[in-house]
Amino acid sequence: MTATIGPPRGGGLPGAVHSEWTKLWSVRSSWWTVLAAAVLMLGYTALAATAVPVMAEHGDPEAATVSAPGLAVNAVFFLAQFPVLALATLFIAGEYGTGAIRSTLQWVPVRGRVLTAKCAALLPALCGLGVVLTGAALALAVPLMGGAGVPLTAGEAVRTALAIGGYFVLLGAFALGVGTALRSVAGALTVSFVALLALPMLCSALGLTAVLDYLPGVAGVNLMLGEGTLNDLTGQPVPYARWVAALVLGCWSAAALGAGAAVLRSRDAG
Amino acid sequence: MITLRGLTKHYGRKRVVDELTFDVAPGRVTGFLGPNGAGKSTTMRMVLGLDRPTSGEALVDGRRYAELRHPLREVGAVLDARSVHPGRDARRHLLAMARSNGIPDARVDEVLGTVGLADVAGKRAGAFSLGMGQRLGIAGALLGDPGTLLFDEPVNGLDPDGVRWIRQLMRSLATEGRTVLVSSHLMSEMQLTADQLVVIGRGRLLADAPVTEFVADDRAVHVRLPDPGERQTLAHHLTGEGLAVEERGGGELVVTGGTVEGVGDLAHALGLRLHGLTADAVSLEQAYLRLTANEVEYAAPAAGRRAGR
Repeated sequence: MTATIGPPRGGGLPGAVHSEWTKLWSVRSSWWTVLAAAVLMLGYTALAATAVPVMAEHGDPEAATVSAPGLAVNAVFFLAQFPVLALATLFIAGEYGTGAIRSTLQWVPVRGRVLTAKCAALLPALCGLGVVLTGAALALAVPLMGGAGVPLTAGEAVRTALAIGGYFVLLGAFALGVGTALRSVAGALTVSFVALLALPMLCSALGLTAVLDYLPGVAGVNLMLGEGTLNDLTGQPVPYARWVAALVLGCWSAAALGAGAAVLRSRDAG
Repeated sequence: MITLRGLTKHYGRKRVVDELTFDVAPGRVTGFLGPNGAGKSTTMRMVLGLDRPTSGEALVDGRRYAELRHPLREVGAVLDARSVHPGRDARRHLLAMARSNGIPDARVDEVLGTVGLADVAGKRAGAFSLGMGQRLGIAGALLGDPGTLLFDEPVNGLDPDGVRWIRQLMRSLATEGRTVLVSSHLMSEMQLTADQLVVIGRGRLLADAPVTEFVADDRAVHVRLPDPGERQTLAHHLTGEGLAVEERGGGELVVTGGTVEGVGDLAHALGLRLHGLTADAVSLEQAYLRLTANEVEYAAPAAGRRAGR
């Protein structure tokens, strides 16, 4: 056997991250989910923005309260976050479905390192995706709104883009944690849907309004909207600053990752 | 060098691997035999750190797999073909693998050429035939140029050319001084490749011996003499030496416990006329079946009675 592999260069955590990055972009499903996120984000924002001048013409007072960042946040929460959720879930839970997890753990036998490497490969990409999609959505929404609605400042545009990038990071971390803990794409997606969407509705119905702002989905919207803005999910203005919202959602993500890491360390490869 | 010490794995109350202790030495092919469900794959998974032993340990060159800094440079393994993402093409599967262990990208095309997959390197692994999947697995095992290799049922799904190729590959890897452990449920396959045989049944060690010793133990010798009187003479002398002799039709004697050389020399010394003298070619298979059949027949067999002989 001719062996031209040379002395070890890399490996360890940097090698594991490079490996995960290669894996991430070498399956079609990753590209499809990114495309789906872009189509949903831009499609929703464009449609909703087009409606604003029409509302204003008909003298609808609500037209004046609509802002381009608000449209972008709605596009994320009701549509674009789901392909992102699917991407992160497939990235780890999908490996249990295909059996590829056995390869992954054979290449990188230090269990905690696998999860760290997946986070390091996926989360910066999600941050970039959030920032770019927000920029594009705002650039699309402002001309379509034609001067109606709340005027957009450059500062607000940047803050919204970073906040949505941050939301994608925390959402991705949450999904990676849940996916690692449950080892099943269907199970992980179900749990994430319930946590993000069903839980706020359930709490509202039960009158537990005090906890609403501390649920992951609501905290995510609060993060994207910023303090004082009306949150449609709670019907109340956002009660805390963006960094508090990031901390609340970050705790959920950390808990999910902790559960995932514990399962990954203690169980056989599957 | 692979070292197993009291390696045990329980799934719930079922003991899949039971107190396995043996070494796999470098420089030779060690066949790992047992019926389906004997615990071969689970043992290999524990060597690779995929499954955690209930007790005992599995070491590669004295260290646990997870302690290896660049595991793929020390241990190559072919488990089942279903451990590859079906949507990823062969080259990028191997690229991801190489990058995880600091192996240069150029090595990927090298191993793809070695296993004969260079032409389909851009094809999705899910579209591969079973044999191509096995070749991809072997490419991965060779990627880090490791000193220890584990193959779990490697000839499954390969065509006769592929089977011959992998036999030669395993032999040459062993000749280069590497440690090679190959599992199979077919003794006939191991007879052609292995130097050493480790046989397990229901997770327990049944035998650990060189192939030659296996053969010598149970090999039957068939000798044919046309003259009935001479047949009686030979049978008499063989029985006198403590060998079991059975007379068959066609003037044939079946001698167990002896060797071809011994029987032939004796006949020559007695001046007897022989029309045939052969050793039983399938006796290894029979020895194996007898060994593993015992495991199935008795609920509480004397484990280790045949071990370490």
